[in-house]
Amino acid sequence: MLIEVFGPGCAKCQTLEKHAKPAAEQSGGDHQMVKVSDYAVMVARGILSTPALALDGHLKFQGKVASSDEILSLLKA
Amino acid sequence: MSEWIAFRFLELIPKSYLGEAVAFLFFDTPKVLLLLTLVVFIVTFLQTFVNPTRVRDALSKRRPGLGNALASLFGIITPFCSCSAVPLFLGFLRAGVPLGVTFSFLVATPMVNEIALGMLFAMFGWKIALLYAGTGVAIACTSGLILGRLHMERYLENWVQGALTAPALGEVEEEQSTLPARFDLAVQGVKEIVGKVWPCILAGIAVGALIHGYVPERFMASLLGKNHWYSVPLAVLIGVPLYSNAAGVMPIVEALLGKGAALGSTLAFMMAVIGLSLPETIILSKVMRPRLIAMFVGVVATGILLVGYLFNAIL
Repeated sequence: MLIEVFGPGCAKCQTLEKHAKPAAEQSGGDHQMVKVSDYAVMVARGILSTPALALDGHLKFQGKVASSDEILSLLKA
Repeated sequence: MSEWIAFRFLELIPKSYLGEAVAFLFFDTPKVLLLLTLVVFIVTFLQTFVNPTRVRDALSKRRPGLGNALASLFGIITPFCSCSAVPLFLGFLRAGVPLGVTFSFLVATPMVNEIALGMLFAMFGWKIALLYAGTGVAIACTSGLILGRLHMERYLENWVQGALTAPALGEVEEEQSTLPARFDLAVQGVKEIVGKVWPCILAGIAVGALIHGYVPERFMASLLGKNHWYSVPLAVLIGVPLYSNAAGVMPIVEALLGKGAALGSTLAFMMAVIGLSLPETIILSKVMRPRLIAMFVGVVATGILLVGYLFNAIL
């Protein structure tokens, strides 16, 4: 699954990235994680507040630092 | 209780400089922290019902005027962090929200801070809270109208024009939330915000305590009193470089008012601290040319000055 973490590089975005890593490892499977910090891309993706996370192109949430558990349940869903 | 600690337990002398400062410290710390916890909980809970996407849709294609007013009101409650300023700005424009309306939103979000509003209500009553919200909304509304009239679109950075017309990618899923989940988010918000800002608050209380204990009664009145033309610009000048958290500035406001600073000057000080922040300006310079940034800061600063003078004159 393609995991995209969107954020310009602020503290919250880095925290979200940190939470996403263990979640990806725990869920097993083949995951690829990408950090997107290009504003133009964020706009095209309809992101208004950061950090945001998308799985396989679907934007799951924005403006929130989700916990590892939350991300894990999104990965399993 | 705080007087008991300061004067009995620590045996400080009432009316002495140190005694009054320590009493303020012990009285204010638990009070401000408790109020903050309560305010953050309520605000974060309410914010789970608002999200920027819905606000954007409500504002798109709105005409100037009503659009500016709505944007300013939405700006108060919409959850927002300064690192989201750019995506939000671009996302609004892209969805057809006029530039002036977008500016109203951008001015209102930091200026009428939802937590500051709650704290003002809890500490000084509804009149001052309403005054703060009302004047903040008026400034946001007017600034947006002015900037919209000036057709500043040409002062956006070049890449922005491209980003606004590029085709949309991917899909956005609307998040559904249940009541327990909203409560969880509110608890999380309290942990996160109170956990992060308590040093700011202690610093604010310490400054407040120093003012309360050591600054002579008439000094603030002479410096920030209503009878001096320079008091409002002075308050703004002191306020702008001070980048404090909304909650951290409250004890300072409390001490200033207690020492005879005029309400208009104090409001101007508070808005300058919270509303005109250097970090946000730097972030926005990625999308706006210097000229537009300067207009933005200039219009908002003028608004704050006018509010200060207005309230010093009528109250």
